[in-house]
Amino acid sequence: MDVELRNFFIFNSQFGPKEGEELKKILYYYPITDNADVQIKNVGLVEGIIQFTGTFKPSTPVNSLHTQKMRQLYFQPEKNFWIVMTLNLPIVAKGKDSSNQTEYLEDDVQDNVYEAVLKQAYNTYRLFWGTFEHSIENHDIGTLKTRLEHFYKAYLKTLKLAHADILNVFCGIQYLPLDKLTFLRVQCFINCLECTYPEIEYTAFLYNDHLIWSGLEPKDMKIVYQYLIGTLLPANMETELQGGSMPRNSLSPFAALHHGRFITGPTNLKTAKTVGKIPKVFLFASGKGVSCHLVVYRALSATVCLFMKVDKELSLQLFKDMDEYVSPKLTTIVSDISEYCSKQVITPSNVPENSPRFIYFNKLNLAYKSTAHLDNKQSGNIACTKESLKIMADMNNKRGLLGHSSEMIVKTMNDYWVVAKNSNSREFYVALQQKNASLIDISEEVKKLCDTELKGIFFHPL
Amino acid sequence: MSSNLEVEPGAASESVLVTTDSFENFDHMSSSLEEIKNLNAIAENDESNVENSNVENFEDLAENVPCNNEDDDFIQSKEWATRSKHVFVLSLAGKPIYSRYGNEDKLAWLFGVMQTLVSFVQSNDDTIRSIHAGDTKFVFLVKKPLILVAVSRTQETVNQLSSQLNYVFNQIASVLTLTRLNKIYEQRQNYDLRRLLAGVERLIDHLLDFSEREPSFTLGAVQCLSLASSVRDNISSAIVGACSKIKNIVFAILLANNKLITLVRMKKYCLHPADLHLIFNLVQASESLKTAESWTPLCLPRFDASGFLYGHVSYLSEDCQACLLLLTVERDVFFTLSEAKQRIVEKLRRNNCLEAINESLNATEETCIVAGFPELRHYLYKCKSTAQFYQPSLSPPYTKYHERLTNLYKRAHQLLHCSTRPLKLLFEKSSNEAILAWDTRGFELYVVFEPLVDTNSAINSVGRLLNWIKKREEKLFHLNAPTF
Repeated sequence: MDVELRNFFIFNSQFGPKEGEELKKILYYYPITDNADVQIKNVGLVEGIIQFTGTFKPSTPVNSLHTQKMRQLYFQPEKNFWIVMTLNLPIVAKGKDSSNQTEYLEDDVQDNVYEAVLKQAYNTYRLFWGTFEHSIENHDIGTLKTRLEHFYKAYLKTLKLAHADILNVFCGIQYLPLDKLTFLRVQCFINCLECTYPEIEYTAFLYNDHLIWSGLEPKDMKIVYQYLIGTLLPANMETELQGGSMPRNSLSPFAALHHGRFITGPTNLKTAKTVGKIPKVFLFASGKGVSCHLVVYRALSATVCLFMKVDKELSLQLFKDMDEYVSPKLTTIVSDISEYCSKQVITPSNVPENSPRFIYFNKLNLAYKSTAHLDNKQSGNIACTKESLKIMADMNNKRGLLGHSSEMIVKTMNDYWVVAKNSNSREFYVALQQKNASLIDISEEVKKLCDTELKGIFFHPL
Repeated sequence: MSSNLEVEPGAASESVLVTTDSFENFDHMSSSLEEIKNLNAIAENDESNVENSNVENFEDLAENVPCNNEDDDFIQSKEWATRSKHVFVLSLAGKPIYSRYGNEDKLAWLFGVMQTLVSFVQSNDDTIRSIHAGDTKFVFLVKKPLILVAVSRTQETVNQLSSQLNYVFNQIASVLTLTRLNKIYEQRQNYDLRRLLAGVERLIDHLLDFSEREPSFTLGAVQCLSLASSVRDNISSAIVGACSKIKNIVFAILLANNKLITLVRMKKYCLHPADLHLIFNLVQASESLKTAESWTPLCLPRFDASGFLYGHVSYLSEDCQACLLLLTVERDVFFTLSEAKQRIVEKLRRNNCLEAINESLNATEETCIVAGFPELRHYLYKCKSTAQFYQPSLSPPYTKYHERLTNLYKRAHQLLHCSTRPLKLLFEKSSNEAILAWDTRGFELYVVFEPLVDTNSAINSVGRLLNWIKKREEKLFHLNAPTF
């Protein structure tokens, strides 16, 4: 049985300091099937653990609790606010006979992976609603509770706990490398767009799942990116595939030239009477929350995210103007990009089987690339064993002990190999399934792979 | 990576030690004292009656231990809080038994909190294992009738800390026997165990320092004193000769400077390395043993946790600081064993064995450079079939950064032995050093190299090293498993 969510709750001990008022501390609690007593008890345990661990002045507040059967992860995103996620450990039947002996796989649930899942859960909330404090300052606790309820009820359903892995730890961005000319065209398009419409504060440009340009700080962009890739774009892709809003079979010869549409805001400009619901997002790279409207425009495989100033009124006419402006320009750029890509990009699925699979991450720009994953939907569609991904996450977790640059080669019990290189804020992991290879073969193989895949990326020679 | 050796260095067909990994279930006992006694058909009154009779007589008079006001607020002191490793022992009811730092009575509230955490998780039909907060790990070991807790800032993993707590538990059991420990709490849940453990604190303190430092604990093995095999055989036969006529001697152990010289055993019985570690600890921690022969009851929890063995413990002589332990199931044969010891010493003196022991004690092991491996900094070799290991002398930089080396070995060992994702091989390079760790069916090898070593030469060195050890195996390891 896979890892599963037991409960998820948010509390602030300051809100119910007196005995008998414990329920007031709880801002959100999942599942609702846990009655008030159970909720209070569970929050009480966490409070006890926070206090107990605090006695010994650890370097950070408490991160996790391990028991035989479950894992509890803690995150204090804002002063006195704690988010707690409890997971049931995966179990396997032990022993060959059908006796009811089960074994709980403690090491299968890796703290660094699920801590990242927990942080992501907060960051995504904060992207749309700002900080918890913000809701309380501008409204009241009741509003905060409503928002949390509304947000997490839907969000928790989308968690893919069983397939969380080292990519969650990176929470990175896939970039699309382009030739200079095509990249300049994209850049030029964005500059023109931003000049023409001063309401636009920042712009981000994606092609399929890959980012080409972003005016946001990477810290903000990674959260927006996860939302786009994880939620917004897949949802729209589905409507597009079902032939929903794209005028594919239109008889008009001009319709073919007009491929784009807004996917937030007025999604169908022909019939729209109002601008519709435009999501507001909060960006935090500057230190305090700055809110913007998030307008997303999509044409063919390209997605343009426009972060618009909130103080400006967004009229239906503005959207119509922008659509007129963007659509033709974007269509030509997209065809340039797709032409370039068809020559260059090898998708993971057409790499021969049993060839080494790698994951690369650059902490400085949060760029990642993986040939170990066959898609980025966190669906468990992977090209190496699950165990190698876990070993990579182990290695990622331990890398702090090895200093700024290190290399690690391991051979597992099943005779496959996992290699980690870590240098200059870059991390590179390779899974090799070569049964009879020696340590020397493997290090040669990895050297070759580095030469072809990471040309021009600086690794300290090790 | 293949070596052309047919048998791994140090392997033997029979082992004096039980050969298992150190993280497995510690509850399993290898032997039974009853069996030994019955085997030798010696009628004896049930000793456990005598042992346990006086428990009820203890009154909880010492309930209120007088306090020193001066250290009232040491709990707030940063120094106490940030110690690198705290260890606490308490009863299931939350009664303080041991704290590595600070007075248990002052920490009563803290013991209360720990007990509450344990019982809270237990109430959900679950067991608490550990809490993680930044650089600090809190590891819980609930082992009826005790709770043991480590609060550690070291790099050791939960399993390694848990194993240390297990050693602490075994140390307590070794003084009282597990049977008696259980009986005490069956009779009085609220019993203050400290009154029975006077003097044991010192043993636990020493055990903790010892187990943090010594690779033998990580590896679950012991190191032998280097001796020519003829000398070691002579010593063993001297012991056999002097003791074979005496009934019910189970083990005779000769050790010096934290290394095993020889171990002679009763047929069919083996000693677990974990028990031997407790014996090493006892000898190291007790200065008083140096001055006089002593007679001490000793429970070896992995051997049989329910009862005592009795040990005649003495150093060989003024001029040879090796310690001899003769362990028997008889409670009153001190003088018989004392005579046997005299005979052993005489024999050893006649055979020049004392000199040989002294010579080996005075000479340090070769460093890697001296042995002809300049690219190696240090290594650990463990032969699995005998649970023995060998390490060379420390050389720079580890003469200064010994702790870094210890941590390196501990980390590599944990990676190879992680319960769900064990590894066969690990090669890790950092800017400080490189380590190659290799787990095969017959041996485990951990070799530390200069940081810039390449794979080819590392593998070359390992092959040469294995040959080097193989050539010296008779000297470095205790290959015969002599019996009485």
